[in-house]
Amino acid sequence: MFLQQTTPNTFSYMIAGYAVLAVVLGVYLASFFARFRNLKRDLEVLEEIDQ
Amino acid sequence: MNPKPRWLNILDTLTTIFFVVAVLLVFVYAPMERTMGAVQKVFYFHVATAWVGMLGFMVAAVVGVLYLIKGEQKYDIMGLAAIEISLVFFFVAIIMGSIWARPIWNTWWTWDPRLTTATIVELIYAAYLMLRQGIEDPDRRARFGAVYAVLGFLSVPLTFISIRMLRTIHPVVVGNSDPGAEGSFSMSGPMKTAFFFSLFTFSVLFVDLFWHRFRMGKLAAKVEELRLKISA
Repeated sequence: MFLQQTTPNTFSYMIAGYAVLAVVLGVYLASFFARFRNLKRDLEVLEEIDQ
Repeated sequence: MNPKPRWLNILDTLTTIFFVVAVLLVFVYAPMERTMGAVQKVFYFHVATAWVGMLGFMVAAVVGVLYLIKGEQKYDIMGLAAIEISLVFFFVAIIMGSIWARPIWNTWWTWDPRLTTATIVELIYAAYLMLRQGIEDPDRRARFGAVYAVLGFLSVPLTFISIRMLRTIHPVVVGNSDPGAEGSFSMSGPMKTAFFFSLFTFSVLFVDLFWHRFRMGKLAAKVEELRLKISA
């Protein structure tokens, strides 16, 4: 009898890999926009105090 | 704060288009690898994220040298921007690699030369961000950051050559793998297209994020300057 090599089912690992990419980049971008917004707010307040 | 440049808007749009095309190439155009199955598709973005990580660390070293020569604040802001982005991408590369390794190497992690040196790189640059936080004087912080970025970069080529010089189970994409490497495969034409387009897309994504992060860095410097002025 011949040994038959079948393609393993590694679909769940592929999903997990790309989910990590999506989540980490998503969190980074969210933190990025939050920091940007906070800095803009800080600048407005500081400029008011400075005047 | 200067308004967002038109070119940055164009770059945002191009990056989004390239990213969608890269995803389609990886999931639709590139064929399924026979011995590894679907998990092989992790390889395209795993290498691309690792590439962006190394690219950013190199940019940080270059602007670190420029800061030490010229002493201009913009180089410090660029260095911080490059390292922050690269740290995120390099972290993703390590985790994606670990997920790929589970079905292929039958383990989530092994202290292989590539995995070990990559972890060291990640920790070196994580320490960079933490140590920067501890220095209040902006000039001292920038000088420290520049020297650290230049010295820290020594760990990056070490990671790159680790799979070419040492015995390892980590496959080599460009060049010959170690005979003990597990998970090697030869790329077909469509696989090469998906791979190189992913590298290109992530390089463009890096430039786009770097530009945004640089603008934010300039804003942060302005806020810090005003704070110091008011508190003086």
